[in-house]
Amino acid sequence: MSDLTYAKIDQTVLDTLRPATQVYWFTVALLAVGMLGGLACWIYQIFIGIGVGGQNNPVAWGTYLINFVFWVGIAHSGTLISAILHLFHAGWRNPIARAAETMTVFAVCTAGLFPFVHLGRAWMVYYMLPYPNQRTLWPNFQSPLMFDVVAISTYLTVSSLFWYTGLLPDLATVRDRSTGLRKKIFTILSMGWTGKMEQWRHYTRGYLFFAALATPLVISVHSVVSWDFALGVVPGWHTTIFAPYFVAGAIHSGLAMVLTLMIPLRKIFSYEKIITLEVLENVAKTIILTGLIVGFAYGTEFFIAWYSQNSIEIAIFKWRALGHYKVGFWIMVVCNTIIPLLLFIKKIRRSIIWLFVISIFINIGMWFERFVIIITSVARDFIPHAWGLYWPTVVEMGIMVGSFSLFFFLFVLFVKHMPSVSMTENKEMLAEGESHGA
Amino acid sequence: MGPECQVMGLFTDEERAASAVQALEETPWQLKQVHSPIPSHKLSEALNLKKSKVGYFTLVGGIIGFFSGFALAMFTAAKWSLIVGGKPVIALVPFVIVGFEFTILFAVFGNVIGLLIQGGLPDFKGMEIYDPRCSGDHFGVLAACPEIEKGQLINYFKEKGGVTRVFES
Repeated sequence: MSDLTYAKIDQTVLDTLRPATQVYWFTVALLAVGMLGGLACWIYQIFIGIGVGGQNNPVAWGTYLINFVFWVGIAHSGTLISAILHLFHAGWRNPIARAAETMTVFAVCTAGLFPFVHLGRAWMVYYMLPYPNQRTLWPNFQSPLMFDVVAISTYLTVSSLFWYTGLLPDLATVRDRSTGLRKKIFTILSMGWTGKMEQWRHYTRGYLFFAALATPLVISVHSVVSWDFALGVVPGWHTTIFAPYFVAGAIHSGLAMVLTLMIPLRKIFSYEKIITLEVLENVAKTIILTGLIVGFAYGTEFFIAWYSQNSIEIAIFKWRALGHYKVGFWIMVVCNTIIPLLLFIKKIRRSIIWLFVISIFINIGMWFERFVIIITSVARDFIPHAWGLYWPTVVEMGIMVGSFSLFFFLFVLFVKHMPSVSMTENKEMLAEGESHGA
Repeated sequence: MGPECQVMGLFTDEERAASAVQALEETPWQLKQVHSPIPSHKLSEALNLKKSKVGYFTLVGGIIGFFSGFALAMFTAAKWSLIVGGKPVIALVPFVIVGFEFTILFAVFGNVIGLLIQGGLPDFKGMEIYDPRCSGDHFGVLAACPEIEKGQLINYFKEKGGVTRVFES
């Protein structure tokens, strides 16, 4: 048991809100430049046309959809940590729950931009909304793309509300230790929270329902994303394994991103006593599990192709592993299933450097997983004369860099201006006598 | 009865705060409020708090959501009446997905509304009689007494191991 007290927890977190250094603002500026670069690429695409991207027949879905699925996937582990592990009373989630939830909200925001980018004429997006109009046109809710609109908007709304509800008591703590303008802002944000037992009575119950609702939601969201593909009669996509395969992959990538974000955060903000090595080790253990599930899914896909004896299905899977995009395929396999096996070794699991490096590899691997799924299937489907290859263009890469910059920009701003670790949940854990890593 | 004053006993120990709350029942003074930096089980037991009714709001939201989602999908499909992908115009299976997402969305709306109504939020007036230490590491037990008994109430909290703060009305 560490020597943490309520006051020490508060002080550690409140210290992170002190005026930022020049290095911090330089980082923010750098990310803003990346973001603006992405925006410039998007504006260029709007003026010139969607053809500036590499998407064309037969590969109509390129990096825009890859990044959409990638960012939605990243979002998932935030909900796993904040909701599912809350229901399981896993105490080790508390130190990282806030940052993971924040990651969820920003990742969904980033993901949500890609359908706009991919749309070309982004201002036509309102066509997807069901509203009475002169042409009497209504969206078709039998389409998985419309499921997606409903699921992603629900996910963004629910995860934002969940995140804000979780923040309430901590906003009050910051309010009570601030002066001037910050006090005024936090007074409004905390809605007059005073920690009355009457407030806690409803809060804890409401929070539990939030967790109970977010759990099936998170599973449904990535299932729906997978159905964008699985409901199409395309070899390599049209398979029932897609929903669980995507959900496991999403959590795998999200957990890796949690490590990528937490390790520097822990070091920069001296969170070592709150985000202990045991917490990171538990994330690593969960990554072993998700990595094994993902590996099993990769294998099952090949098994299904062989067992079906469908020649087109067999051909597409052979081509994935040995064709033009084989490098992407093997990056996916090695990074997502082989490298995480290193975490079976305790020494590696308890080494910060190793954890960070492995998390980066998984991030890369999971991006390539989406590349392999999305590109290979449509590049070579049924008719050989319609086959074609796809490579991303500079404009697409610029938008992708912009999306990463946007995500990190929002996250970096958040951690310096809001409590990035939940003071309340960590105090609660202390009161219940659990160690930070139990 | 003379003018009333309110005294808050501030405790760093959860159990002492809970025992002060329980023992207050045997005094003539009135327990007004208990503030805590965490959702304390010990204080909940001492106050004998009942289960919140937020869940009813959540349930109603969820039921409204399911039927709204399903009805929306049916309505838009009926507006076109075209068979798409071999599915019937009113295709129940895909519409369950829309109904499900709406269930979660509206249940969460119900949950938030329930939380705000039941928890009395926003409550900026509640901050007038409140000590900022209660969001840090102190548990605050607020009790009211006649002005002339103020000293006794202060002593009561001190005996229980707390420090006090007086709020004159």
